[in-house]
Amino acid sequence: MASPTVPGARRVRRQLPSSPWLFAAPGLLITGAFILYPFVSTLVNSFTDRRTLVPGEYVGLDNFRELLHDDMFWTGLRNSTLYVLGVVPALVLLPLLLALLVQKNIPGITFFRSAFYTPVVASIVVVGLIWVWLLDERGLVNSLLETLGASPVGFLSDQWLILLSAMTVTVWKGLGYYMIIYLAALANVPRELHEAAAVDGAGAVRRFLTVTVPAVRSTMVLVAALSSVAAFKVFSEVYLMAGPSGGPAGEDTTLVMLVQRTGTGLTGRVGYASAISVVVFVVTVALMLLVLRADRKEES
Amino acid sequence: MSVLEKTPPTAQPRPAPAREPRITDEHGRRVRVWELALRYLLLLGVLALTIGPFLWQLSTSLKGPTEDIFSSPPKFLPSDPTLHNYERVADTIPVWDYALNSLKVAAANVVTNCVGAALAGYALARLRYRGRRVATLVFILAMLVPVEGIIIAQFTTMRELGLNNTLVGVVLPGCVSALNVLLMRNAFLNLPYEIEEAAYVDGANVWQRFCRIALPSVKGTLAVVAIFAFMGAWDDFLWPLIVLSDPSKFTLTIGLNYLHGTFANDERLVAAGTIIAVAPLIALFACLQRYFFRGVGEGAVKG
Amino acid sequence: MPTSRRTFAVAAVAALVLPLSACGSGGDGAGPADASGKVEGDITFQTWNLRANFKPYFEGLIADFEKKYPGTEVKWVDQPGEGYADKISADAAGGTLPDVVNVSPDLVAPLAKAGLALDLDKAAGQYEKEYLEGAWASHRIPGMDGTYAFPWYLNTGPLFYNKSLFDKAGLDPEQPPRTYDEVFDAALRIAEKTGGDTATLANVPTIEDFGRYGVPLMNEEGTAFTFNDAKGVQLLTRYKELYEAKALDSQALTATPESSGKKFLTGAVAMNPGSALDLANFKKQAPNLYKNIGITDQITSTGHVNMYVMGLMVNAQSRRTPAAVAFAHFVTDAAHQMSFAKQVAIFPSTAGSLDDPYFTKEDGTDETRVRVAAAKSLKGAVNYTPVLFSEQMKTELRNEVAKALQGKQSPQEALDNAVKACDRLLQQQG
Repeated sequence: MASPTVPGARRVRRQLPSSPWLFAAPGLLITGAFILYPFVSTLVNSFTDRRTLVPGEYVGLDNFRELLHDDMFWTGLRNSTLYVLGVVPALVLLPLLLALLVQKNIPGITFFRSAFYTPVVASIVVVGLIWVWLLDERGLVNSLLETLGASPVGFLSDQWLILLSAMTVTVWKGLGYYMIIYLAALANVPRELHEAAAVDGAGAVRRFLTVTVPAVRSTMVLVAALSSVAAFKVFSEVYLMAGPSGGPAGEDTTLVMLVQRTGTGLTGRVGYASAISVVVFVVTVALMLLVLRADRKEES
Repeated sequence: MSVLEKTPPTAQPRPAPAREPRITDEHGRRVRVWELALRYLLLLGVLALTIGPFLWQLSTSLKGPTEDIFSSPPKFLPSDPTLHNYERVADTIPVWDYALNSLKVAAANVVTNCVGAALAGYALARLRYRGRRVATLVFILAMLVPVEGIIIAQFTTMRELGLNNTLVGVVLPGCVSALNVLLMRNAFLNLPYEIEEAAYVDGANVWQRFCRIALPSVKGTLAVVAIFAFMGAWDDFLWPLIVLSDPSKFTLTIGLNYLHGTFANDERLVAAGTIIAVAPLIALFACLQRYFFRGVGEGAVKG
Repeated sequence: MPTSRRTFAVAAVAALVLPLSACGSGGDGAGPADASGKVEGDITFQTWNLRANFKPYFEGLIADFEKKYPGTEVKWVDQPGEGYADKISADAAGGTLPDVVNVSPDLVAPLAKAGLALDLDKAAGQYEKEYLEGAWASHRIPGMDGTYAFPWYLNTGPLFYNKSLFDKAGLDPEQPPRTYDEVFDAALRIAEKTGGDTATLANVPTIEDFGRYGVPLMNEEGTAFTFNDAKGVQLLTRYKELYEAKALDSQALTATPESSGKKFLTGAVAMNPGSALDLANFKKQAPNLYKNIGITDQITSTGHVNMYVMGLMVNAQSRRTPAAVAFAHFVTDAAHQMSFAKQVAIFPSTAGSLDDPYFTKEDGTDETRVRVAAAKSLKGAVNYTPVLFSEQMKTELRNEVAKALQGKQSPQEALDNAVKACDRLLQQQG
């Protein structure tokens, strides 16, 4: 996360020595007890052969070694990575364009803004059910295609189309969310910049590239960071579109789906699933660092 | 896009007639008519995409028992719209009780998130102390933990606290979410220091500065956090399912799952259920959206 | 994304906090299994998605029990269909399992191995003779002594087919296929006549299909899987032929029972296995289909149809074992199963109940015809799915089968791989 320096900070200092921790305490306590502590036990479990109802024993790096030879793990890694590559550019760009579209206060615009936010509000299960039905071979989308004279497309039967459909749902559901973040940033772009560019005779595209993009660059980085972490951890969308076994021959399995599939139920291999969770965590940390690093480099 | 333009524009609330000179942009400049037309066209297109699927679900829920909902090509409008399916949902499950439980959980989640995230965000953004960077890192890492992997451990902790099968147990793990803390932190960081400095000179202590100056300036972000918190609690399924055993304590999302019967599935009933689940959120958002967008305008969510 | 916690994140179990307090004895069989004491105290009874439609029935049942045994109090909790295995996993791991739990055989096996299910042969052996032999046996676990749940309701059903689709393909709608070969031939014919537009089957073969086809699934000791024999390969080879001819729906590789049911409803596939329950559903959801519905017997090469069994397990760590056993027996006894069967189209697992006129007398309606036929076939029915066949194994089999259908490997290789993977999972479950 970008953290601007705080120039006046040193001067404002009247505080009790304990108050910062008092302020942060509720948040830290909850996060520690219910997120980090359970995650530490995941870490511990990743070195055991624990199963749901069997405590298991310490097995060293066996789980991680097994990962290297597990085809499904590599499939999962591939799909989660593809998901990041497919979804993040769209989620960085499209919501920005959408934000520009709804930025002007023309009549009825609040209605449109709210409507565009609806997909964010609805739960992913509801959204998934609706889309599965829309994209079915005989669903709405295919009957529209047919009336246009095209032949029906197997959105939910081809391994790549399934992944693409799931990405579409992710983008569809994320549009409104990131649009809001961009609206915030755009509100801070001084109008003088636009006017100066307009006087110079710059067209819409050039103004977008020379004024808008640089002005919201830090927000684009934030969006890239948030969306890439979310995309790498994708579960629901693919689970709903590809089914519990992860599409044809499991080819659409993502890493978190694999965590779910191997680790859950009464026969779950908790140790092995924990090892996959640890990998997911490490990769997301790396992704975050990568995005921030790219940002810093560009800045300098 | 050709698909989208087919949407009959009459179905949408009519934009005010473009009696041209009145329409201005956010900087008070006039907007040209053709540009305005293009904008509305695009807006309608995106509108069809974003709320179309919900309208389709709404239409299914209004179709009567004699109408074939699987007909091909699909029919957009119910031939004989009826609210019967909604009555049946209410007959099948105690929908009001579940909604009340959801409301309690969601409201509690809103309060705890707003308070907890504001406090922690303020501590991270404004207060100077050793360990601040570590505290920030804790929240960032927490955001990266794949929650799918830790749910049983959370349950075990909850049982040790004796809070399983209580609504408090449902609320607790998400009651100060890391993402919200970071959002609040950014909002406070974006406030100019000068306003607090003045209060400092007047002798206000940290608590007074927080309550009287900092907090009122980030109302918009609080609205954002409130909506996220409400949404998250309202939509959650797996955690409440695992924590709660007693059906009288179930939340709406769990309750609506009963509509997927063991022995038979009725699409119309399920559709009515999804509309019941989504409608309150849309209503809430419609009411709060003014604050919401203002909060956004504050530059609250900015990086 | 603003997701607080993925709603559908069934992801549960990856991180049990050590130590796992609940599974006390872990391993072999019965705990303090004394069911002979006085029937008294409070117990909790958990069902699986039955509240919405049968609330009055269960409330009446519980009231009757409490009247019969003064001093008892039964608390009834019903869980929704989604996430049931996760709910039970969390409760089992956390030591909060109810006293009497509605289970299916595959849920019983791991619970019994962890010492959480009461051995009824020891605690309630006297009731065994009240139930159908096959039903009682369905909660036995290979490699363990004992029976770990009371059998409750059973279900099975015919094969439904769409007469108008048969007609269109030039097949006689009144002469439905009766053997596997006839089904496959009809499917190929329909696909050919409609240029691949209409598929006949919507699901890839599951472990239960292999069983019904006559493939031996496991060795006798229950220590290894055997479905990669010649017969298994033959079945998969036929399916591959169907898939290539589009006689097996192109979405079959990702289908769920729900989605394939929907396909049948929309007239996209010509046949679908179902039960008596589905008839009412067809009538309501797809009136056009209902007019053209054809009903034929479940296809089987072994002479035994497949059945699904629901059971009631008694928690081995219950503090009220006598009351829990008495209640589980009360719910599953002949009289109460019979009255439940009259509420909804399922079948009692108690001996003799299927000879009731309700299950033998036709009255000319389709519902009754299906019910009578199903009841008759249930007497020799088998629950083909091995109790040790876990969700993870189902996925392994499904994915290997899919690879064979896609032509990425031969049917023999696919089944060999699946057997290998399932054997390994079996050992790990240990």
